Amino acid sequence: MNLLLSAPKGHELSEFLFSLPFNLYGKAKKVDGHLCVTRDGMDVYIDGELKEHYNFADYEEYACEQLIGCSMLVGRVDDRSQKCICAFTNDSFIAFAEVCKIINHYLTTGILVEQSDIDEPKCPKCGLPLDGYAECPYCASKIKSFSKLFKRVAPYKGVFLIAILCTVISELLNVVSPYINRILIDDYVRPQDTSHWFGFGVLCASMFVIVVINVILDWANLKASYYVSQNLGQDLRQDVFDKTLELSMSSISKKTAGDLINRVSNDANKLQSFITDNGKNAIVRVFSLVIVSVILFVMNWKLALLTIIPIPFVVLIVKRVYNVIHMYFGRSWRFSNAHSKLLHDALNGIRVVKTCGTEQAEIEKYQVASEKWAKAASKAEIVWNLIWPVSDFMLTIGNYFVIYFGSLMILQKIPAFGTLTLGELIQYTTYVGMLYNPLRWLMQLPRQLADVSVSASKVFEILEEKTDVRDDDNCVDLDIQGDIEFNHVFFGYNVYNPVLKDVTCKIEKGKMYGIVGHSGVGKSTMINLILRLYDVTQGSVTIDGVDIRRISQKSLRSQVGVVLQETYLFEGTVLDNITYAKPDATFDEIVQAAKIARAHEFITKLPDGYNTRVGNKGYTLSGGERQRIAIARAILHDPKIIILDEATASLDTETERMIQEGLNELCKGRTTIAIAHRLSTLSNADSLIVLDKGRLAETGTHDQLMRQKGVYYSLVMAQRKTTKMKAVNPPPKPVPAN
Amino acid sequence: MDKETLLEEKFEIDRLTILDCSKLKFYKDSANFISLDYNGESYFNVRLTRLIPFYSKTTYISVAYDNADNEFREIGVIKDMAELSEEQYKLVDEYLEYKYFMPEITKVYSIKDNNRGFIFVDIMTTAGRKTICVRDWYSNFRMLSEKLLYAADVDGNKYFCPDIEALDRKSLQILEIFV
Repeated sequence: MNLLLSAPKGHELSEFLFSLPFNLYGKAKKVDGHLCVTRDGMDVYIDGELKEHYNFADYEEYACEQLIGCSMLVGRVDDRSQKCICAFTNDSFIAFAEVCKIINHYLTTGILVEQSDIDEPKCPKCGLPLDGYAECPYCASKIKSFSKLFKRVAPYKGVFLIAILCTVISELLNVVSPYINRILIDDYVRPQDTSHWFGFGVLCASMFVIVVINVILDWANLKASYYVSQNLGQDLRQDVFDKTLELSMSSISKKTAGDLINRVSNDANKLQSFITDNGKNAIVRVFSLVIVSVILFVMNWKLALLTIIPIPFVVLIVKRVYNVIHMYFGRSWRFSNAHSKLLHDALNGIRVVKTCGTEQAEIEKYQVASEKWAKAASKAEIVWNLIWPVSDFMLTIGNYFVIYFGSLMILQKIPAFGTLTLGELIQYTTYVGMLYNPLRWLMQLPRQLADVSVSASKVFEILEEKTDVRDDDNCVDLDIQGDIEFNHVFFGYNVYNPVLKDVTCKIEKGKMYGIVGHSGVGKSTMINLILRLYDVTQGSVTIDGVDIRRISQKSLRSQVGVVLQETYLFEGTVLDNITYAKPDATFDEIVQAAKIARAHEFITKLPDGYNTRVGNKGYTLSGGERQRIAIARAILHDPKIIILDEATASLDTETERMIQEGLNELCKGRTTIAIAHRLSTLSNADSLIVLDKGRLAETGTHDQLMRQKGVYYSLVMAQRKTTKMKAVNPPPKPVPAN
Repeated sequence: MDKETLLEEKFEIDRLTILDCSKLKFYKDSANFISLDYNGESYFNVRLTRLIPFYSKTTYISVAYDNADNEFREIGVIKDMAELSEEQYKLVDEYLEYKYFMPEITKVYSIKDNNRGFIFVDIMTTAGRKTICVRDWYSNFRMLSEKLLYAADVDGNKYFCPDIEALDRKSLQILEIFV
């Protein structure tokens, strides 16, 4: 990322390591300011004049704070002393945050990095946000994307060729039909001599044969196209899905689940239909445009010019008109959407509406939304009906020229244009008509091409992305014993915002450790690092003395069992869900695991026992039941390391007690790492790791830490206070009436 | 902890405390953040929040701070800033203008839709002319009431127009298609 953007007035960029413009200072007033970083510290310039100088060591930490409408760079000595160095609108946030990261790195390591290693957040060409894409999907080379796309047809090129051939032959036959029509009119309909019935019969038969051949070709074309389209779509979807699951969590978390689903289904489908529909059509339509144009020019170049000359102007006008129509229909669609949302709200929340007695207010709101939609829809229809006939007339205006001048030629009123027979004129006008279909299609093509090229670049980006958490060439399959060590670990999901800072601790095998601290302090992050969902930024995590990056991911994860706060049950039966991590388990093992997890009892009470369907559309299980299935899943998995991430947080105390029995069985003899907001849950832990602001604050048993009266002590006290407050919270006293 | 303190805590959380503006003494500390003396207590680096930022800039201002455990503590709410002294009003207003830096749209020159969910809006604002890029514009460029237009660009900057009907005719015509 470029952090040397512009220099203050009267200065050169070469004077600074980084120089970023900022636009707010003092009393939130617009200024022309610059924050310039040199080896000696930071300088704040306003209108080219040096206002402040800061040494790096003036503050312990630098951070970017996002306010509501702008952000500021602050320097902090501790939590209670900080200073705003400069402020800026949010478009500069990432650049300033990167500078903060670099300076903080200097403060901890003494190394001043002179080059930022993160990607540009925005496309330098179009300014649109890149959102984790390496290349802007809107500016990516369309030719490159399309060539990659067409390469995927290669396995089906034979069938695809058949489809193209069928369409080309069919188009050629369509060109022959007007010619036969012309002979029919000129030689058999118009002349007085009606003795040549044989010729007439041959022509009729030819027309019939053409129709039959066309039907056969259409059938073959459809079959071949369908075959290619389905296979191509399947290949694409499968590849994108495979690749998505291969990617690291840091790559995946840059994209939302919705975005990934879109890429697997919508984008892949769009490419599928484009290749087989538009891809083939493009070849055929361009081909027919050329053939028809050549025929028109050969038949009469003057009439052909009359047809073609207005087309570019008309296309330009019609395209603008289309945009206007598109906008009006878009507006109507938005109002229809707002109307649906309101309907959805009112009907889903009907109990609330009834209990609050707000039926009339909802009726009025609905009336307004409905009226707005009706007005917008009728306006769009009016615009459409006013514009469309005129624009279509304009597009086909050449045809009227041809009819007018062609008729004059038949009547031999314009000798300069030559003569024409009635049959020739009809043949000619049919060809002119054939010119407009590909033309209309071509007008829509740029929009479709742009749309598809975006989908193509999104899909290919996933297919070509290299996962950043990958197995080392010399990785080993380790038989894990369960000793885990964090050695000076630094890590942040965003590089400029470290979550864990210099964490060093040891987790001994077979013991239970609790990780505690405030929300967002880095507890789950430690677990993510043990699972190697992410790689550390600095330092190392080792298991049994082996750096986790040297252990194959499959071997590592097959020996770590996880029970999360919310257990996700996949679509399927209870049995499927328990055996998810070990599909080859015997039924005896499964029941044994369910019994240890205290799940067997409720499963036997389910209507179909272990075959009861659960998941989205299946039987609804309570939170406690879901957790017990997760525990059974983990027991069956037989891991060496157990991770309990707020496993009982969403359960009531009674259910927690029942689950605890299952958990105790699960953890026996295994290294267990538990995170729990409710500190009482960790009372039986052998040791506690206390995190504070991303750093390791203290470690020890509950009793030791309580005696220390440090961070853990205050956490326990704060929690006790809250519990007591809940307990003493009395009902409000009635106010005596005067 | 005695019963009295517990009740005091409960009072803070459960009730809307309207602050007595005559007793509020805001001041800027050495680091330019706002601190407060109120009822004999000193609060360092208080957080001022407009509770209804789109409807009112100067009424219902929450005054809060984070305690040593980083927990949110609300001292109370200023019902109307007009009750503050001129000097105090200025101090609070300056802070809020900073926090809620949100240029007002005064003219709309053009709106271009790239048909991929983004619009580019060329506007004149109280902070100068700018072309803003709005993503997912059905959500980020919309009317919050009959008259109030709200826009948030891809960078997280926010813009508003308190009354679109007060804009010139051409701006209104351009806006009408999109809102």
